[in-house]
Amino acid sequence: MTLRALPRLALLVLPVAFVLVFVIGPLAITVAVSFWQRVGFTVQPALTPINYLDFFEGVRIIVLERSLVVAPVATAIGLVIAYPIAYFLAFRASRHVVRVILLLITIPFLVNYVIRNFAWSYLLGRNGPINDAIIGLGLSDGPIDWLLFSDFSVYVGLVAAYMPFMVFPLWLSLAGIDRRQIEASWMLGANPLLTFLRVTLPLSLPGIFAAAIFGFVGVFGESAVSLILGGAGYELMGNTIASAMEVLHYPLAAAMSSVVVAVMTALLVAWYLGFDVRSFLGKILTR
Amino acid sequence: MGDSRVSSAVFWVVTMVALVFLYAPLVPPLILSATARYQFGQVTDEPAFTLRWYVEMWDNPILVNSFETSVIVAVIVGLVTPVLALLAAMAVRELKVRRLIIILMLLPLFVPGISMGIATAFFFRELGIPSSLFSIVVIHVVWALPFAFLIVLTVMTTFDPVLLEAAHMTGANRWRAFFDIELPLIYPGVVGAAIFSMIISFNETIRTTMVQGPYNTVQTYIWSTFKQIGLTPTLFALMGLLIIVTFGLVLVLSVMGARQARREMRARA
Repeated sequence: MTLRALPRLALLVLPVAFVLVFVIGPLAITVAVSFWQRVGFTVQPALTPINYLDFFEGVRIIVLERSLVVAPVATAIGLVIAYPIAYFLAFRASRHVVRVILLLITIPFLVNYVIRNFAWSYLLGRNGPINDAIIGLGLSDGPIDWLLFSDFSVYVGLVAAYMPFMVFPLWLSLAGIDRRQIEASWMLGANPLLTFLRVTLPLSLPGIFAAAIFGFVGVFGESAVSLILGGAGYELMGNTIASAMEVLHYPLAAAMSSVVVAVMTALLVAWYLGFDVRSFLGKILTR
Repeated sequence: MGDSRVSSAVFWVVTMVALVFLYAPLVPPLILSATARYQFGQVTDEPAFTLRWYVEMWDNPILVNSFETSVIVAVIVGLVTPVLALLAAMAVRELKVRRLIIILMLLPLFVPGISMGIATAFFFRELGIPSSLFSIVVIHVVWALPFAFLIVLTVMTTFDPVLLEAAHMTGANRWRAFFDIELPLIYPGVVGAAIFSMIISFNETIRTTMVQGPYNTVQTYIWSTFKQIGLTPTLFALMGLLIIVTFGLVLVLSVMGARQARREMRARA
């Protein structure tokens, strides 16, 4: 029996092995490379903190500081839009409506987001339709310049890129809430707002956290949105990592990438310890 | 009750505005590719409607090659990913360490594209494996796996394990029970995961650029052309084509989803 169960077990752990080899493995090697030394244009294995010092004490630190502002703001905007949608889907919509709206939200997410950003750069540009409309309506005499290559256009691109998928974890955790807890709050005399703040919102925290981590880490390591919509010199962590790769400074790129991955790991570990995965995926795992 | 009607209206408005916001960027590539009035950031006086860029782009051998590469990679990713996703979902059901398996499978969702890209590049470099279709496929499977896993996991919950018990009792071994009883019932989910994986592979840029080696996918072709010379009518035509292909695949997916939903309803009735 145990012998016959062996190949089956091997198959079942195959996906885990795949992730360990092709996700954890590469991320671990990146950490190793981040301590290597660059000699001329070659890289030698070493154990030096120089790359981290280069990053934290060099000019690229500005990019980290900017990312630390842009990521939470973009994530917050994403949550503010995604939460009402998820709430509506979880409590007010029929099964059919849920299916249709989730599909409608997924489709643009599937179309390459680089392409969507090119489209935004056209829509928001000086000669673009939005400026045409503003001038046509007489709201402004000339094209508005801050629409493109600005914080505004970057936030538009980031929210469009990450908000759609934030709806899913929020919807999962809201839909998994036991309705009797909300009804109990009503019966005990709490008004709808109080019920929401004291019962619904806290119970949906696992979803909020999952959505926030997804958005935060994505924006933090973003490169395409900032390159296309931010204009010259606008960099997020992804851009500065890519530019270090382009000048073949692999250890520096590895160090900066490891900083991003460390932030992600810290957030995920906090989430893992703070919440039960089952409370979040409850609808999927239990019936 | 009036309260709830007002809040419902508010949610509808938010949802509709969000959908307009999400769909708006899908329109310009389709229009610009068929009019070519917008070239290199300038407005030109091309005829109002033309499909010449959709025809002419196939004269570019690099573009044709990259299209072939994209198709080959997408097909392989579409075959490999759902199998891994299915095995992972079965592992969640049968092994003790559910939480760990789930978080490992979802992990690639949370790693930024550029970090995953350079990590994979270092990984293959240190192993002495040059960039190839293999490294492109690997990085696409890694990215598609969490989505495929969630799809298969969701469909599996509609399946009642009691049916498997029944199969065991009537003498079927575990594989027999799986292939004869469970797979036919969860099959739409597995195919859905396959199509979803193909779409994701077809639309991936940033991760691919780090491990593409001498190969180009459609997306890396668009990306590198944009970085070298900017946006051209050909690129808009290519983007238009990709949007159409993605919508076509989604249509297949949703028709299958609707069929599955109808079957569930019938099973319940």
